[in-house]
Amino acid sequence: MADKKFRYNVRDHAAEYWERSPKWRRVCLSISFIAFFYALPFLNNPLINTPGSDFQSVLFYPVGMYVLMAIGLNIVVGKSGLLDLGYVAFFAIGAYTMAILGTHTGLNFWEILPIGIALAMFSGALLGTPTLRLRGDYLAIVTLGFGEIVRIVAVNIEAIGGPRGIAGIPTPPDFFNAKFTILDPKPYYWVLLTFTLLIVWMVRRMAARRPGRAWDAIRQDDDVAQLMGVNTLKYKVWAFVLGAAVAGAGGVLYASQILSIVPDQFNLNVSILILACVVFGGIGNLWGVILGATLLAFTPERIRFLSQPRILVFGIALVVMMNLRPDGILPKKKREHFDPNWHTVEESGEGEIK
Amino acid sequence: MDFALLRDAFWGLTFDGLALGAIYALISLGYTLVYGVLRLINFAHSEVFMIGTFSALVASGIMGVKVEDDPRTGWKMILTLLVCLIAAMLASAITAVLVEIIAYRRLRQRGATKLATLISAIGVSISLVEAFRIITHSLPREFPRIMDKTFLLSYAGADIRNDKVIVIVAAGLMMFALERFISKSRYGKGIRAVSMDENTATLMGVNINKVITVTFLAGGLMAGAAAFFYILVYENTSFKVGFFLGISAFTAAVLGGIGNLKGALFGGFVLGVLETYTSAVFGTAWKAVISFSILVLVLLIKPTGLFGESIQQARV
Amino acid sequence: MSEKLLELKNVTMKFGGVTALNEVNLHVNKGEIAALIGPNGAGKTTVFNVVTGVYKPTSGEVNFVGQSVVGKKRYQVTKIGIARTFQNIRLFGESTALENVVTGADVHSKSGVIGSIFGTPRSRREEKAALERGMELLAFMGLKHRAGQLGKNLPYGDQRRLEIARALATNPQLLLLDEPAAGFNPAEKVALAATIRKIRDAGYTVLLIEHDMSLIMDISDRVAVLDFGQKIADDVPKVVQNDPRVIEAYLGAPADAS
Repeated sequence: MADKKFRYNVRDHAAEYWERSPKWRRVCLSISFIAFFYALPFLNNPLINTPGSDFQSVLFYPVGMYVLMAIGLNIVVGKSGLLDLGYVAFFAIGAYTMAILGTHTGLNFWEILPIGIALAMFSGALLGTPTLRLRGDYLAIVTLGFGEIVRIVAVNIEAIGGPRGIAGIPTPPDFFNAKFTILDPKPYYWVLLTFTLLIVWMVRRMAARRPGRAWDAIRQDDDVAQLMGVNTLKYKVWAFVLGAAVAGAGGVLYASQILSIVPDQFNLNVSILILACVVFGGIGNLWGVILGATLLAFTPERIRFLSQPRILVFGIALVVMMNLRPDGILPKKKREHFDPNWHTVEESGEGEIK
Repeated sequence: MDFALLRDAFWGLTFDGLALGAIYALISLGYTLVYGVLRLINFAHSEVFMIGTFSALVASGIMGVKVEDDPRTGWKMILTLLVCLIAAMLASAITAVLVEIIAYRRLRQRGATKLATLISAIGVSISLVEAFRIITHSLPREFPRIMDKTFLLSYAGADIRNDKVIVIVAAGLMMFALERFISKSRYGKGIRAVSMDENTATLMGVNINKVITVTFLAGGLMAGAAAFFYILVYENTSFKVGFFLGISAFTAAVLGGIGNLKGALFGGFVLGVLETYTSAVFGTAWKAVISFSILVLVLLIKPTGLFGESIQQARV
Repeated sequence: MSEKLLELKNVTMKFGGVTALNEVNLHVNKGEIAALIGPNGAGKTTVFNVVTGVYKPTSGEVNFVGQSVVGKKRYQVTKIGIARTFQNIRLFGESTALENVVTGADVHSKSGVIGSIFGTPRSRREEKAALERGMELLAFMGLKHRAGQLGKNLPYGDQRRLEIARALATNPQLLLLDEPAAGFNPAEKVALAATIRKIRDAGYTVLLIEHDMSLIMDISDRVAVLDFGQKIADDVPKVVQNDPRVIEAYLGAPADAS
């Protein structure tokens, strides 16, 4: 193509390398990549050490948790184009499920986890079904309201702790030899990482098939999508529900680590923070979102003076990103790619792992 | 739930609701004007209001009034009040215009997606709130009592306080002035033209950028006035004062029909009264929940609001 | 007597004070190429919008293969066999050509989110079928070489053809084309005429809105004419061409009318 300038594009080169690789090389790369992340807590490098907080603890929260939640919100905002400003509500529902059931029943973390996810999904469906018909800006305000209402309800109902929240949440039971205590964040991190990998796998599968096509169509032109036979309400609610499930799971795990929660920590700022991660990484772009979330969560921990005005920085980042670099921090895809085995026809950089 | 209170204090609550409603109406004008020309919810409008309250505070400081002072009287009082009002209106107007230039203009000219513009709006809103949180160290600030608050009369069990009367009357005057501006002035016509059909308006020679700036300016002036009235009646402000008032004012705009000025006025007063009633019955903690519920109900049942046009229809 | 595939009976469409369609009666027979013409603003696209469920008619019936489509959701209308293209091209610009078409082909798949996550046999089968149909249609419209390119990067003619391919992917019985020749040069219009005939020969029924009279006269079996929301003619092209009311609608009343 005559109009392509020569510029070293990391993304395209990486994608090209991946596609050229035979299967064995891909498998090795994937395994080493994944192994690296499992080994991360043992890394002790002055470059990445976080002054003021324990590195391993930071890996779990905020880095790992933000990454997970950003992936979840990306399905809603990034792929489907639905502006959800109340995402923290689902996180709160997961956390409160763990807190209430953990302190009042004999159920352990693993038993509560599916319940928390189910409750979050149910709330997502309940909220989404009537409101996802609304236009984008109205949806934004309504989801904003939902997030606030969940918090206000939690503050005002004494039975679930009121403004003081709930304390004494039990830790998960020992998993083989791993002990989950407040002193050692590593097992929590590994559970979170495993869960994140599972979600990434699921999202990529969906994105390459009918749901992904439906969400892309909805994001680009909802009216035309309907006229092409896409049941847009159904897929929008699914996006919402899946996003809620991810946040809910994160919430359950978070509560079981931090052992006490208060309603005021589930506020609008958290929703905005996660949204900033999605935006920063490039709306819709899975790897960009992961990278963006990692950077945004990690940087204020590494550079302490950024920690206090963290939210201010995030807010400014939102405005700057939207105005200057709406595609996110990763370089734009330049190549278009057509695979003659057309079952993997996708843009370069998003190749399938078969 | 205390229905007895509602029944006994009905007229008093209604009067208080109207005063609150006047403030809501002024703020909601800003939302509805911007939505009319840009089809965009200006999330930062609540911070335009918030900044107005702080400007009034600063102005009162400059005028030498301190919280512990006695209220002023006579010309001194009027002068102080006017200075604070003008300070609030100016600060809000300037903020509104700056927001347009910084957060929206570039995206609008590039034809960016709705999503991108909304996110930019959120970013501005959050940044302003946080900036003021840091400046005020998360503490609310009190506003001195410049005017002595007296009860003018008692009617049907309602105590009519002078400051609230001023708010209702002054707000009414401002809304009237705005309405005249929109219908009679050149820029007003430009605003109406752009809200109806931006492309045709441009073809007819309307300078879109100027019209949009004027729209934000007008909305900002109204919000600034609302800010002054708010701080006059409630005598305090904080970095988060914009959030809930903004949501209520937006609900008012939607209730009346977004894009519709008369609707914004009507919605503002109705919501102010409704909120005051429900606060009496259910307690103030649930006020936000009630407002949101009203918003959701309106959007689900009659998204065009009581007076509005339908902008929900698909265009194919 | 040909079977009536689509029938509009006394359809009226009002928007506030404006009457866009006034007691319009139209029908399209199975297997024919029908055309809908009229001056700008006559209501032609409104007819398409009413038929596809974008608008609910103020009064009147819209029947497709005997059943009413009024009140059906838009994606349901597509499911029962009506597909369309748009006056201003509305592709999914950020998606590839193949993705655009396969999105249309998806309408007949039954599996959804769950199937895609777990890779059920049915979902894998349907995915393969949808992709195959997508490639078939791209080839049918001469776009196979564009399969991996983004919709927004395609040249104009290919974009129009892609929109048609996407609509065909939903396997409609009736294809509505809204000004498919807009912006085409004469050579492209000839090619388009051949393509529309090819589509009809493949078993689809076509209703098109167009302004290019020679194209209309060339390929249409029947022509209906709208003016100010009312049908003023409905016959074979030769007859309509010479109808004085039609001429007046387009050109205005003759100067010496007494």
